[in-house]
Amino acid sequence: MLRLPQFQVATPTTLAEAVDLLQRNSPGARLISGGTDILPNLKHFLDQPGLLVSLARVAELRRIDRDDRAGRLVLGAGLTLAEIAQHPDVRAYFPSLAKSAGLVAAPTIRNMATLGGNINLDTRCRYVNQTELWRGGIGGGCLKSEGQVCHVVPTGRRCVAAMSSDNVPVLISLGATIHLHGPAGQRALPLADYFHADGLRHTHAAPGEITAAISVPLPTSPRRCDYIKWSVRQSIDFPLVSVALRFDLDADRSDAAITDVSVVAGVLGAKPREVNKLDELVVGRSFADPSVAQIVSEAAYSQCKPLPNVPYDPAYRREMIRVLTRRAIAAMV
Amino acid sequence: MSQSSAILLSLTLNGEPVQVAAPAHWTLLEVLRYKLDLIGSKQGCDKGDCGACTVQIDGLPALACLTLAALADGRSVTTVEALGCGPVVHPLLDAFDRHDAAQCGFCTPGILMAAESLLRRSARPVTRHEAASALAGNLCRCTGYTKILDAVVDASERLRAEHDDGR
Amino acid sequence: MAADTPTQSPEPASAAEAERPDLTRETWQIGKVHRKVDAMERMRGVARYTDDLKLPGLLHAKILRSPHAHAKIRRIDASAALALPGVFAVVTGQDFKIPYGVIPWTPDENALAVHKVCHVGDGVAAVAAIDEDTANAALRAIVVDYEPLRAFFDPEEALATRDREHTINPYARKGNLSKHVLLEFGDVDAQIAGAELVVEGEYFFEGTTHGAIEPHCALAQVEPNGVLTVWSATQVSHYLHRELAKVLELPPHRIRVIQPPIGGAFGGKSEPFDLEFCVAKLAIKTGRPVKLLYTREEVFYSHRGRHPMKMKYRTGFTADGKITGVDARTILDGGAYSSFGLVTTYYSGQLLCAPYRFPAYRFDSTRAYTNKPACGPKRGHGSVQPRFALEIQLDKAAVALGIDPIELRRRNDIGADVATVNEFRVGSNGFQECLSRVESASGWRARRPTLPFGQGLGVAGSTYISGTNYPIYPNDMPQAAVQICLDRSGRARVFSGANDIGQGSNTMLAVIVSEELGVPLEDVRVLSADTDLCPVDLGAYSSRITLMVGNACLEAAQRLRRRVCRSVAQRWQIPANRVVLAGRMALDREDPARNVSSAQAFQWAEADHGLLGEVGSYNTPKDRHGDYRGGTIGASPAYSFTAHLAEVDVDTETGVVHVKKIWIAHDCGRALSRKIVEGQIEGSTYMGFGEALMEEHLIDPAHRGVHAGPSFLDYRMPTFLDTPELHAMIVEAPDKNGPYGAKEAGEGPLHSSIPAIANAIYDAVGVRLDRIPFSPPRVLAALRERAQLEEQGLVPAHKPDRRPRSAR
Repeated sequence: MLRLPQFQVATPTTLAEAVDLLQRNSPGARLISGGTDILPNLKHFLDQPGLLVSLARVAELRRIDRDDRAGRLVLGAGLTLAEIAQHPDVRAYFPSLAKSAGLVAAPTIRNMATLGGNINLDTRCRYVNQTELWRGGIGGGCLKSEGQVCHVVPTGRRCVAAMSSDNVPVLISLGATIHLHGPAGQRALPLADYFHADGLRHTHAAPGEITAAISVPLPTSPRRCDYIKWSVRQSIDFPLVSVALRFDLDADRSDAAITDVSVVAGVLGAKPREVNKLDELVVGRSFADPSVAQIVSEAAYSQCKPLPNVPYDPAYRREMIRVLTRRAIAAMV
Repeated sequence: MSQSSAILLSLTLNGEPVQVAAPAHWTLLEVLRYKLDLIGSKQGCDKGDCGACTVQIDGLPALACLTLAALADGRSVTTVEALGCGPVVHPLLDAFDRHDAAQCGFCTPGILMAAESLLRRSARPVTRHEAASALAGNLCRCTGYTKILDAVVDASERLRAEHDDGR
Repeated sequence: MAADTPTQSPEPASAAEAERPDLTRETWQIGKVHRKVDAMERMRGVARYTDDLKLPGLLHAKILRSPHAHAKIRRIDASAALALPGVFAVVTGQDFKIPYGVIPWTPDENALAVHKVCHVGDGVAAVAAIDEDTANAALRAIVVDYEPLRAFFDPEEALATRDREHTINPYARKGNLSKHVLLEFGDVDAQIAGAELVVEGEYFFEGTTHGAIEPHCALAQVEPNGVLTVWSATQVSHYLHRELAKVLELPPHRIRVIQPPIGGAFGGKSEPFDLEFCVAKLAIKTGRPVKLLYTREEVFYSHRGRHPMKMKYRTGFTADGKITGVDARTILDGGAYSSFGLVTTYYSGQLLCAPYRFPAYRFDSTRAYTNKPACGPKRGHGSVQPRFALEIQLDKAAVALGIDPIELRRRNDIGADVATVNEFRVGSNGFQECLSRVESASGWRARRPTLPFGQGLGVAGSTYISGTNYPIYPNDMPQAAVQICLDRSGRARVFSGANDIGQGSNTMLAVIVSEELGVPLEDVRVLSADTDLCPVDLGAYSSRITLMVGNACLEAAQRLRRRVCRSVAQRWQIPANRVVLAGRMALDREDPARNVSSAQAFQWAEADHGLLGEVGSYNTPKDRHGDYRGGTIGASPAYSFTAHLAEVDVDTETGVVHVKKIWIAHDCGRALSRKIVEGQIEGSTYMGFGEALMEEHLIDPAHRGVHAGPSFLDYRMPTFLDTPELHAMIVEAPDKNGPYGAKEAGEGPLHSSIPAIANAIYDAVGVRLDRIPFSPPRVLAALRERAQLEEQGLVPAHKPDRRPRSAR
C-alpha cells in the first residue's frame, strides 16, 4: 500500500485557531479538509508537511446562507460537494453549479471533498501526479516536484499544470466572490482574480490564508447556464474539457435579448480562462439567434488552447471545446 | 521528517464505541484492517480510484483510504462487517447471493456499503440508473456490473415491500 | 447504462425444493441457479484474502524498483539500509541466481535483477522491516549504481538489431528475438490467388492489462518443522510450488503453497512473481513471517497483460463469401521477459482456425523482447488480437460482396466433429445457434436496414479452448485430480488443487458432487489450492477447470455413488440402478415413498466398504492435435463458441462511440450452474468492451519507458455508468469430452465483443477502426478522412438515404 509521510494532525474548531496554527507552524503546515486531493499527493510524496491542520471541525465553514437583501448565496467552504449538488437553493438559483458539483469524480469522493478544497484543488499534470518511482523514471521529476524541467513545455520556465476543478469555471461564470481569512484579517475578492498562471502556486492566497466561504450573487434577471464536462468515463475522471456558460436575458424566453454573458474554461493551464470580448459579440442579440452558439463557440475555440499536460490529444480537446459549447448553447435555447 | 506520534481515537464503529491508538499518519483503512482486524474493507488502488475501501461515515459512503484515522475521531463508522451480523441475512446480501453478484468478492464489501446507503435513503425502489449512479465510484472487474444492478434493484424492491408490510 | 429491465431468471434452489427432488428430471442440480459455496463469506468480509492474514511477529517487505528501462547494475550498496533500526534483512539478485520461467523452455527471468534491469519497475532489491514505513525508508537508503543502456520500445526496431550488445534478454538466441513461429497448412498463395475477392488489412491491438482489484500479495513463514509455507494470491499454486523449489533450491516436499481467496486474476496472477520469491527468502533469512503487498503501480509494472500485436492479414473469398485462404503476419511486442510468450506466439495463429473453415492457412508470428514490462496471458490468451483482425476482415468481405455479415459467417461455419485446417479435432459446435440467437434477440434483420446514419449493429464470432491438451511441463500424469470423502453425517468433502479465482470453480465442484451424491450444495465442503492438503492441479488458466477438474471430480463422485447405491439397493433388495440420490436422500425411483436420508445411505455404505473416499483423475485425449512441430499447442479437448452483436451510436462531431447494448450467445456445452455461466459471459464481454473503447497499457518511449499512467485513475476501466446493457444467452451443444457436456465459459466470450463493436461502428458511420482503442480522437479522425473521400467522390456516401436532412 502507498504510505503517507509522517505528520501530526491538528483539529482546530474555529477559523481563527486554524489560521493561527498554520502561521505558527509555517512552513511545513498544510490544510486538510476532505482530504481527497491532498492525501493522494502526499502518498506520492509530493510534499512532506510536518503538520496537517484539519478544517473538519470548524463549524463556521459549514454554513449555507441565502441573503435575499444582499442578493447573494453564501456557501461555507466546508460544505461537501454532495451537499452543494443537492442543496435546494443551489439547484434553484445556480443549476450549473449543482451540475458541476455533482459531476466531480465519484459519489464517494463528493461525500468527502469540500467546496473550499475543490476551489483550491492543486493543479494537475500527467508528469506530477505520480509516485516517486515514476518521477525518478522520467529523470527526476519536473518544475512542480523535485526537478528542473517542464515536460509539457520543455523550454518553459513556468509550470503549466492544469487547473482541474469542475466548480471553479462555473463559480467564476456566476460572478462568485471568495472570502479569505488570514493572519492579516479577512478579505474578499472576485474568484476570477484569485488565480494566476503559475502551476506551482496558482492562487493568490497569502501564506496562512484560508478559504472561508464563497458568495454567489443571486440572479437578477432570467438566466440560462450550463456546465460542460468531457472525460473518457462517466465517473471517477477529472475533466479533460471543462466549460461553464452563463447567459442573462431580458425576459424569461429563449428568444429574449442577451444582457450579459460569461464563458469560462478550465483544464488549460494553471489559470481558468474567461473567454473575452463576448459582450460586444453577443449582448443584445436574441438568445435564440443561431449565430450566438456559433459566435460563442468559435470565440471559445480561438481563445482556449489546451496543452499536453493532461491525457488526450490537445487538438482534439480544443475541438471539443468548440463542439460541446455550441451544442450546450443550442440545447439551452 | 517529523515523527508522528500515536493518537487515541474514539469512534462509534458498527454501532459500538471503540477506542484505538494509531499513528497520526495512518488512514482509517489501515486502522480498520491492521489494528482492528476488520478486513472486510479492502485496499485496491492506494488512492481513491477504485472504491474497494468504501465504508460509511455518519451514514454516507466514503473512502477509508482517503480518510485520516485521526479525523474519524468522534464519528460513526460503519463497515461491511455490520451488514453480516445478526440472525437474519440482510436483504442486500441475500440478493447479491441469489443473483451471483459477487465473483471474486473483493470489490463487493465496498459496493455493499455504497448500495446500503442508497437503499436506506431512498423512499421508493431504486431504478437501475439510480443504482448505477450511486455505485459509479466502485469498480468491479469481474461481473460487468449486470448482476450487481439486478441484485440492488431486487433488494430495493424487497426492502420496500417489507417496509410497506409494516415490518 | 442498462435499462430498467431486470432480467428474469430462476431463483436458486430453495431448501424446500432440495427436499423434494423431481424424479422426472434427468438431473437435479445441473443447469440450475445456485448460491455459490463461498460467496457469503467473501461478501460479509469474513473470508481472508492474502493481505487479510495475520501472523505473530510479521515483517513487511518492499521491493526497490528500477527507474531505468535498460541498465547494467554496477553495484548495490545496502549497508545504510541494513543499519536502520527495524530493518531485518535485504536481498538482491545475488540471492536468486537461478532463473525461472513459467514455461520450462524459457527460464529467462530472475526474482530480482542479477546483472541488469530490463524495464522501468524491474525489481532490484527487497527489504524486510518491522513496518512498511521502515521498509520504505530502507529502500531510500539503498544505493544502486546503474550504467544506462540503449533501450528499445519498438518491437521491430528491437528485432532489427542483431548486435549482441543490444540484446535485452540474454536468453534470446539472436538479437531480440523471443520466438518465431511459421506454420502453413495447404497452399495459401494458390488459394488466395484463385479467390474472387481478396481482403487485405493491417491491424494493431494495443496492450491492455488485467486490472484485478486485488493487488498481488504474498506471505511466507518457515514453520517450526522447517517447512516453508507461502500464501499467495496466485492462479497457479502448483507452478509456483515448482518454481519456488527450483529458485530457492529446496526440495518440493519442504514447501507448502496455499492460495487464499483471491480478488480477481484474469491471467495476471498465473505465473510466479518477484514478491513470492522475496518473501520466501526473507522469511528464511529472518526466521519471521514476511508479507509483501504490491502497490497498484507495482501491479501495472508486473503486468503480463495482453501483447500489443501488429497484424497483417490477407484473406481470400469466393463470390458467395466462402473463405479460400488466410495469410497472417504478426509482430508481438513481448516486453522484457518470456512469461507465457512462447505459447502466446503459437496461440496468435493456432487458435484462429474455428468457427470458420479455412481451406488454407499460413501464419508467421514473431515475438520481440523490448524494454517494457513483460506481456503474458490475459483472458483470451493470445487469440483476442487475431480474432479482432479476422472478424473485421470478414465484415469487410461481407460489405464488398453484398452478403449479410451473419449469413457470411453461417456459410463458413466449420460444423461439429470435424478437423480444422491445422488438424485440431473440434467436437460439439453450437456456433450456428449462437448466431441465430443474437440475430433474433437484437432484431438484426428488421432493424439493421433501417437504422439511421450514426447508429449501427455489428456482429462477430469466436471460439476458445477448454484447457490445453498438454501441460506446461511434459509429464504423463493426470492433468487434474480430485479426492472426495463422504462422512456419516451425510456430508461430502472435496479436495482439489484447482484455484478458485472468483470464477466459481469451487461451486462447480460442489454442483457435480451434489448432483451425483444427492446432498445439497451447503453439505459439500470444498478445500482447494493447498499443496499440502490437495491433489495436484495445474491451475486456473486456459479455461481448463470446468472440463478437466470437473471430469476428475465426476469420476470420483460416480465411483462413490455406485458404492452408496449398491449398499442401499442391497438393503432394499432392488437393482442398484433404481436407487436415486437426490434431495439429501436415497430414493427408490419406482417407489419414491421408500427413502432414507443421505446420512443413513452413507452409513450403510461405510459399513459395507469402510471409509468412503475416492479419487478421480483426468487426462486429455491424445488424438485431438496436429501431427507437426507445435501441433499440440492450442489443441483442446473441447471448444466453446460465441457470437456477439453490438449496437452503437456514434457521435459524428465528437467521435464518441456509445455502445448501447451487446447481445452475447455463448455455447458452453452445458451450463452446470446457470448464473455463474452468465456472469462469465457478462464479465468477459465487459472486459472486451473496455479494451475496445478506453483501456490502454502504454509505455511512454518519449519519457524513458515509464508507464503512461500506472493507476486506476489513468488506466481507465469502465465504471457502472459506462458499461452497456449486456444480454447474455446460454447455448448448449454438449461435448462428449466435457462433464455433462460442459465446455468453457470464462474466456471465449471476450473475443468477439471487440470486433463486434468495430463492425457496428462501420455499420453506423462507414469507418473502419483497425486499431484499438476506438478513442474519440481516433474515431473522429477516421470520420473526417471518410468525409473527405466522399467529397472527392472516391467512395460513395454511407447510408445516404438514412441521414438527417442537414447532414446529407
